[in-house]
Amino acid sequence: MTPIIEVRSLIKKYRVGTEIITALDGVDLQIKKGEFIAIVGTSGSGKSTLLNMMSGLERPTKGEIWINNILINKVKEKDMAAFRRSYMGFVFQSFNLLASLTALENAVLPLILQGMRSKERSKRGREMLKILGLENRMSNKPSQMSGGQQQRVSIARALINNPKIIFCDEPTGNLDTKTTKEIMELLTTTIKEKGQTLVMVTHDRDVAGYADRIIHMVDGIITSEENKGGVLVNEKVN
Amino acid sequence: MYKIDIFRMAYKNLWRRKVRTFLTVLGVLIGTTSIVVMLSLGIGLNESSKRDMERWGSLNQIDVMAGMNFDEQGNPIGQANPLNDDAVNEIKAIPGVIAVSPGFNMGGRALWGRKEGHLQLVGLEPAQMSQFEFEIAEGRFLEGDDRFNIVVGWEVGRNFRDRREMDMMRQQQMQQETSTLEMMNQRISMEVNNRNGQKKIYNFTVVGVLSEKNMNKAWQAYAPIGEIKRIRDYVMGGARNTGGDPRMAMEMAIKGGGRVTTSARSSREPQGPSPDDYEFIWVRTENVDATKQVSKALKEKGYQAYSMADNLEGIEKTSKTIQAILGGIGSITLLVAALGIINTMIMSIYERTREIGIMKVIGASFFDVRMLFLTEAGLIGLMGGIFGLGLSYGASSVINHFGSGFINRGMPPGEVANSLSVIPLWLTLFALGFSILIGVVAGLYPADRAVRLSPISAIRNE
Repeated sequence: MTPIIEVRSLIKKYRVGTEIITALDGVDLQIKKGEFIAIVGTSGSGKSTLLNMMSGLERPTKGEIWINNILINKVKEKDMAAFRRSYMGFVFQSFNLLASLTALENAVLPLILQGMRSKERSKRGREMLKILGLENRMSNKPSQMSGGQQQRVSIARALINNPKIIFCDEPTGNLDTKTTKEIMELLTTTIKEKGQTLVMVTHDRDVAGYADRIIHMVDGIITSEENKGGVLVNEKVN
Repeated sequence: MYKIDIFRMAYKNLWRRKVRTFLTVLGVLIGTTSIVVMLSLGIGLNESSKRDMERWGSLNQIDVMAGMNFDEQGNPIGQANPLNDDAVNEIKAIPGVIAVSPGFNMGGRALWGRKEGHLQLVGLEPAQMSQFEFEIAEGRFLEGDDRFNIVVGWEVGRNFRDRREMDMMRQQQMQQETSTLEMMNQRISMEVNNRNGQKKIYNFTVVGVLSEKNMNKAWQAYAPIGEIKRIRDYVMGGARNTGGDPRMAMEMAIKGGGRVTTSARSSREPQGPSPDDYEFIWVRTENVDATKQVSKALKEKGYQAYSMADNLEGIEKTSKTIQAILGGIGSITLLVAALGIINTMIMSIYERTREIGIMKVIGASFFDVRMLFLTEAGLIGLMGGIFGLGLSYGASSVINHFGSGFINRGMPPGEVANSLSVIPLWLTLFALGFSILIGVVAGLYPADRAVRLSPISAIRNE
């Protein structure tokens, strides 16, 4: 089976002033459909950069990224929006909900952008928020909700489209331990039910523990991979 | 993304920053109001001067007179065209002409019951009368088969006095006014002498009275041309043979009740017009523009054409200039308002950088983002336009209320009052469209900035 995400010798360099910083220094990675992958590393290890590259938010300096057999380096910036809309869902550390919209409106935002009729999308949005335990918060603004509730809305938003891949950037970074646990369990069960692929960046080992596979990154390269249960499956030495 | 969703989102975003939106809208409001009110003053000025002119003659009518054109030094241009049926047909063929009627003038002593007075008759093609800008107060226009029927002007009755009363009231300055409306369906008799000393009486029936609005046509009565021509021929009798000027001869015959004498003036005209020629030809045109064109065409063809519209050009030029100046002053205000919109939108982008980033990450297309910002800017323009128009209507009626006494001084009673400020429908629509356009144009640059915003750097600013 071909992987849903394949990264080949990916290099990303930034220019900061006169200095050139190498964020990614040749990354190869294959992610299978339905897999839950955690990318772990210290800050500056390039894990977020890798996530941004895979989701087409940033352009690689060199290398290839294939998503569902599409080389996304070649997809135009203009068409990338539609691509993300139909293939990907996003969950961020800081929730990133739109302050002027209600929970329901935030949850169905991808459907609005897609051009779905109001009636149908509201129905889907309500169902999704119900699954996430927010049936009483539908018409609340983000400012009227707790962190955990907000993150649940953003998960609803990420899942509403039935995307093939969900990208999470430190999804529990702003949440307390109890809520973190709730959110992680919710996320894991939902995606497993639908066979969705999840790519998560985190520096929290406990959170990473939910993943099928953990990838360690240091200084822009993958240093090792761990199976569920902490079994080291692959170690690269440069 | 559906338009309605973009619209709703734009509306929400504007509502979120009420004060700022309000202030920006206020700028557009003032801009729109100043343009509309300024232009309405210009339009009002133009309309009232046009109306003033119309009172003294129709702008859609050209009078073609017998005789020749003269240049500024008084030298004749070309040859005078005779006003005959060929001329009528030639004029009819000019594009923009609706109706043509040849005519004669004839005046004389007339009797209306016991009253006596002077009647100035204008012979017209009866079927064409309704085509010219007459307004009937009572009765009807002349029709094709009318013979000895006449339509009298509003003031004609005032020419008639009871003979006995006249004697009695001679000393008194104030005489009782005779209402012309009383002439309806009455018989008017006109006594005509010809040069052979014969006398004939023609009886006319009044079938219509013209409205007092036709000020320039108020002192005449209008009769079918065929009858006037016949009377004229009778008056001339043998005058033709002597080669006298028929018009002059006739006029003298009627006025003096005496003989037609040979006019010395006619012998000086080498190409004297045929006695059967019409005295004038009235030309009715489609509109003012047609009047100008037809008038020009007539002059080129060698006719002596005169219309009120000839004076219009200068007035229009002046009022256009005034309008341009007034509009220009108004535009500056709107331009400043446009800068306000640009500023507000840029501010809003700074504030919403993150939001725009989120929308882009989630899958908002360039088009959606651009449309969202253009819609917001356009909405500001639209709101400013609507409220500005409201204010303009208010300001316009206030101006008219306080200014009407000033402009309508010396107007005849019963006239529609002239307005200082006039807001026609086109100006309303133009103002609305223009304010939206200003908003959208002002939104172009901010929208472009929003589109070019990198989603990743937008969401990174934590």
